[in-house]
Amino acid sequence: MTLFSRMSTPLLAAIVLLASFASVTQAATPAEVRLDYAYYSPTSLVLRHFGWLEKALPGTKVDWVLSQGSNRSLEYLNGGSIDFASTAGLAAVLSRANGSPIKTVYIASRPEWTALAVRKDSPIKTVADLKGKKIAATKGTDPFLFTLRSLQQAGLSKDDVELVHLQHADGRIALERGDVDAWAGLDPLLAASQLQAGSTLLYRNIEFNSYGVISVTEKFAAEHADTVEQVIKAYEQARSWAREHPDDLAALLAKESGLPLDVAKLQLSRTDFSDSQPGAKQIQALKAAAPILTAESLVRKGVDVNDVVDQLIEPRFGAQVIGKQ
Amino acid sequence: MSDALLSIHVRRKTFGETLVLKDVKLQLQPGEVVSLLGPSGCGKSTLLRIAAGLDRDYSGELSSAGESVAFVFQEPRLMPWLSVARNIGFHDDGHYDQAWVRQLIEEVGLSGFAEALPKALSGGMAQRVAIARGLYSRPKVLLLDEPFSAVDAFTRMKLQDLLLDLARRHDIALLLVTHDVDEALYLSDRVLVMGHRASGIGGGIDVDLVQPRDRRDPVLAELRIQALTQLKSAHVV
Amino acid sequence: MSASENTLAKAAPAPRRASPAWRRGAKGWLLPCLIVIVLEIVVRVGWIPAYQMPAPSDVALTLVELAQGALGKHVLASVGRVLAGFVIGASLALVFAAWVGLSREAEAYLEPTFAGLRAIPSLAWVPLLLLWLGIDETSKVVLIAIGAFFPVYVNGVAAIRNIDRKLVEVGQMYGFSARRLTLRILLPAAMPGLFTGLRSGLSMAWMFLVAAELIAATKGLGYLLSDGRETSRPDIVLAAILALAVLGKLSDGVLAAVERRCVSWRDTFTGEATGNRS
Repeated sequence: MTLFSRMSTPLLAAIVLLASFASVTQAATPAEVRLDYAYYSPTSLVLRHFGWLEKALPGTKVDWVLSQGSNRSLEYLNGGSIDFASTAGLAAVLSRANGSPIKTVYIASRPEWTALAVRKDSPIKTVADLKGKKIAATKGTDPFLFTLRSLQQAGLSKDDVELVHLQHADGRIALERGDVDAWAGLDPLLAASQLQAGSTLLYRNIEFNSYGVISVTEKFAAEHADTVEQVIKAYEQARSWAREHPDDLAALLAKESGLPLDVAKLQLSRTDFSDSQPGAKQIQALKAAAPILTAESLVRKGVDVNDVVDQLIEPRFGAQVIGKQ
Repeated sequence: MSDALLSIHVRRKTFGETLVLKDVKLQLQPGEVVSLLGPSGCGKSTLLRIAAGLDRDYSGELSSAGESVAFVFQEPRLMPWLSVARNIGFHDDGHYDQAWVRQLIEEVGLSGFAEALPKALSGGMAQRVAIARGLYSRPKVLLLDEPFSAVDAFTRMKLQDLLLDLARRHDIALLLVTHDVDEALYLSDRVLVMGHRASGIGGGIDVDLVQPRDRRDPVLAELRIQALTQLKSAHVV
Repeated sequence: MSASENTLAKAAPAPRRASPAWRRGAKGWLLPCLIVIVLEIVVRVGWIPAYQMPAPSDVALTLVELAQGALGKHVLASVGRVLAGFVIGASLALVFAAWVGLSREAEAYLEPTFAGLRAIPSLAWVPLLLLWLGIDETSKVVLIAIGAFFPVYVNGVAAIRNIDRKLVEVGQMYGFSARRLTLRILLPAAMPGLFTGLRSGLSMAWMFLVAAELIAATKGLGYLLSDGRETSRPDIVLAAILALAVLGKLSDGVLAAVERRCVSWRDTFTGEATGNRS
């Protein structure tokens, strides 16, 4: 018997054993639940601050991770580091289209959180002026996709400009230092740049903003349906508090993000918390946005983005919880 | 004598605290072969290096009558990246005298090895190249520091004959450092015996045999006894 | 001379009957092929989810797609940066290595500073360079130059310090000037060590290139790498890694070939026991 054949049987057995261990953890409530929080998702800050989820799940350890953008949040979700991810809707579509088995179960907000910003005295006046210029945008996030859609509308593609990949905070610095000509900003940093550095919004379009959503992996949804409902319930608590206490919300956002109160107020003035159940409205909006993913070759050839949107949106958890408080 | 090719007088030479040479005088006449015979540490190599101008830290005088002086080290010390021919002509960089080098290669018995690299040579062959390199600048004096101590006895004998042949052919005086009594007597016209450190040149033996000599010559055997006696009285053996 | 002279000659040792070169090369391919096959099976069967580890066949497809598209642009950008950074870093390193190697004074003043700078890891330089030089090509090329500098410098100094004093004495005996000594003896004798440094510096240059391109690039293989990361395309990530590996190996191969030509005179242990030399 060669070394290989002598090794193969015990090796195979070891792999099978390890695989079976993974499926043994089939409890209805997991021992640990990991969520992310972000400054572009104010209700996540509320939930984390008040600890309502910890109260609702007494036997479970609740961990919170800061996400710097949809790109990071999705990376953590796909890598198994978090169970609930706060991202832009279109970013979730992109991730699902590229093979990540995720489901969007909740709408955190309807914000106008991104726009194309230029420096105070910039000579650039229209989107078409951006041809050949440098634009800072974080790949895989809503501002990035906003930029692509805006360019497309002005008759440009991403090859007509130089897209510089910088995380949101670095993009702001690059704009204000003059290293780039425009920045696809994200709140609260966008608001901060407007109020603190005088940056102006070159182009804004609420239709080009996709929703703020919460997603989980298919596996988690299948194994811990109860927990998903619990988390949605807790988020609903945070949402109603946010609608009833706008000033306190602004103060909380300012404190958490380390930015001045007027910046927080500006961000919240363009955020809408009225609708949280994923449904036909969101599906329609995302399907209208999805073609940009194909047009700019962000997804593999042959992927039907409409199918992807249908597969992504999962309303049944929210249906159990929302409106029944 | 005023027409000496090389005249050296070291009053005092120290290495740090240690006194190595004290009041040593030596002269070399044209066509002479002189050996410095002595044990390790007696200062013979130091004296040779001073004569070559490699060591200037001493008090004394050195005159080499304006003639060129060449040095052959104990190891061949060939530049490993250069061919045999380029090593021989090393003094002249790239534009060495090719015909002269070819002739030297023949004379030292290395025909056909002009383009060989040092790593392909045996110890004896490498030393031949070193000798040829020494001869390249057409010196009048060749200084050799235990040139054959690293090769086996038979190669040594062949190289000794070669050296004498070359010296005669090109009319070169040799000053040779050795610890081999037989070698000193076979090669030299004069053998200068040095005892322990700083004892200076104790005795000397004049070898009045004509060249080429026969190693079996009984006169050499007698002179050998003389040399050993001198070495014994200097407490070397 | 006589026949006996020739028998004394030590011809270059005849190599032992080693297996033919192609068979040795083929052995090197066995392990990677095995890994690829195992991965393909494991992913297709489903033991590892495809969205975390794409099957090798998928990666190959992606590579082909990229090759038909923008891969050439990215490769050119990366290769250009590595070349520029490496040339600048290595040249400076050679100058400083010569200076420090040849002068005890220079060593006393400069070596401690260089030793300290050398300890700074690549990623630690990035924020500083971004701050001082912005996000353009300059900061990237400078980062790569820093990466290439230190191996070349360290090996250069060591190479000069390790030169056999006996060879230098030959030059002194000839009365060579300092310049002639450097050009004719020191430089050729230091070649082997210098080449070691250059090859090491080149691989560091590639490493620092990726660090530079992960942050604020608009093209290049590192940019492609981060592109795959941000848009959940692990196949693009692997394709970029593969491209980097191939380019790194190719460039090292070029340098190795130059080294072989310049340093073939070395008489060193080749790793193969040759038995008795008669």
